[in-house]
Amino acid sequence: MKQEPQKDVQGGETPEPQPAPKTPEEPTQVLRPEDEALVAERLRDLGYIE
Amino acid sequence: MQAKPNIILITADSLRANHLSSYGYPLPTSPHIDSMACQGVLMEKMFAAGIPTQPSHTTIFTGEHAVKHGVVAHGGKAKLARGTPFLPEILLEDGYTTCAVDTLFRERIWFGRGYEYIIDPSLHHLFYASVTQEELNARAFQWIETVPKTKPFFMFIHYWDVHYPYTPPDRLRGLFYPGGNPTDPDNHALDEWWDHPVGAMAHDSWLRTSNGLITDPNYVTALYDREIRYLDEGLAALQHTLERLGMADNTLIMLLADHGESMTDHRICYDHYGLYDCVLRVPMVIRWPAGKLRTGMRFAPFRQLTDVTPTLLEAAGSDLPEDLDGNSFLPQLRGEEEPTGYDRILGLESTWQAKYCLRNSRYKFILARQPDLLGNPDRELYDLEADPGEDHNLTTEEPKLAAEMEKELESWIAERLEAAGRTKDPVVEEGAVAIKIWQDHRA
Repeated sequence: MKQEPQKDVQGGETPEPQPAPKTPEEPTQVLRPEDEALVAERLRDLGYIE
Repeated sequence: MQAKPNIILITADSLRANHLSSYGYPLPTSPHIDSMACQGVLMEKMFAAGIPTQPSHTTIFTGEHAVKHGVVAHGGKAKLARGTPFLPEILLEDGYTTCAVDTLFRERIWFGRGYEYIIDPSLHHLFYASVTQEELNARAFQWIETVPKTKPFFMFIHYWDVHYPYTPPDRLRGLFYPGGNPTDPDNHALDEWWDHPVGAMAHDSWLRTSNGLITDPNYVTALYDREIRYLDEGLAALQHTLERLGMADNTLIMLLADHGESMTDHRICYDHYGLYDCVLRVPMVIRWPAGKLRTGMRFAPFRQLTDVTPTLLEAAGSDLPEDLDGNSFLPQLRGEEEPTGYDRILGLESTWQAKYCLRNSRYKFILARQPDLLGNPDRELYDLEADPGEDHNLTTEEPKLAAEMEKELESWIAERLEAAGRTKDPVVEEGAVAIKIWQDHRA
């Protein structure tokens, strides 16, 4: 089970993300209050939240 | 400088390890977390003991496996025994000022134990998981700035950004989507998900857009990855605040997840059940400059979330309660000992499915206590070296190995139950607590 630690952390110099070209279909996602209420109601029915 | 460190324990709910750049993800979702890993230690093979949120957090704060503490289901009947040692209670008794920026205490009372302060901005939302890192950070930073510096503090921050609903800020639009039509009405890849109550909920709420229903799984995954990126920004802001206050060196930050997330793996869509590695394996990164941790270390042996409480208690100079399931790995983080871990781990779930798993470095065996609703066999065996995606069930090809692992798993469960003084298997007692709702939904 014993193992020497490795020191070569990968990904330490992560580049800034470059936004992909927006496709014409990139939609606008909006969680409206009534949507959030629906999520809460459904999860309450599931017993996931009180 | 005070002798004892400040400790900030951070849970990023539903954060899947291999969607972080430092865990090999090809997209730049996590530049700050990667930077933390360079300055501290990254745990390569950390596993949850029980999933999802309530079982896993109970293990995180008790150092006990779910088989022992008995909280095996999210929304189940079991309660944590009052006498069970609880991390913030111990730290409070040992002189820490304790604060939770969290909502879990609203669901299960034991999650409020030991906190002198509880801050819960999710009260401004109808569903608590809609609270953002910016809302949590605004309160957390204010508390850190004003808490008396005569004593060390312990703060628990529970971020929900990565948990569904995936609704990242609009300014991150365009990131991580390979292209296509997110709302193509002819794409039926997610149709089976609508038969699941959580999928139906998504269908009726957060997947709706100005262009219609999101139907492309790649786009849903991009939304998840954007939430990681958003969380990462919040973690960077926390680090900057500690540096500005001159507290960064002697503050131990432990970032982890309670469980991962299944994208569409194994026909489990954007949720956290199934004992596959996409959910069972969790990220963990630890940073504590004054604690003289090895920097840039990738800790390779198997560890479980049972080890969180003993490790943090040792860092605080506290005595460890007797009979914890977990073990501190602090001396190994400091280089005082060689890294060691477990040769096998036990996992369980009792929410959407009632199952156990036994995982070693090569194989995983999954055993169902009751049939699941996806039609999986009651026994699954995977060779994780040859099949890391756990796609090819070997129980028919390797019946002897499957039988051996089943026997080992049952023996281990029996030993744990006996040690915990339990006469009944808690996964059998609870069953899959949400399965009837799923059945009713399908009907």
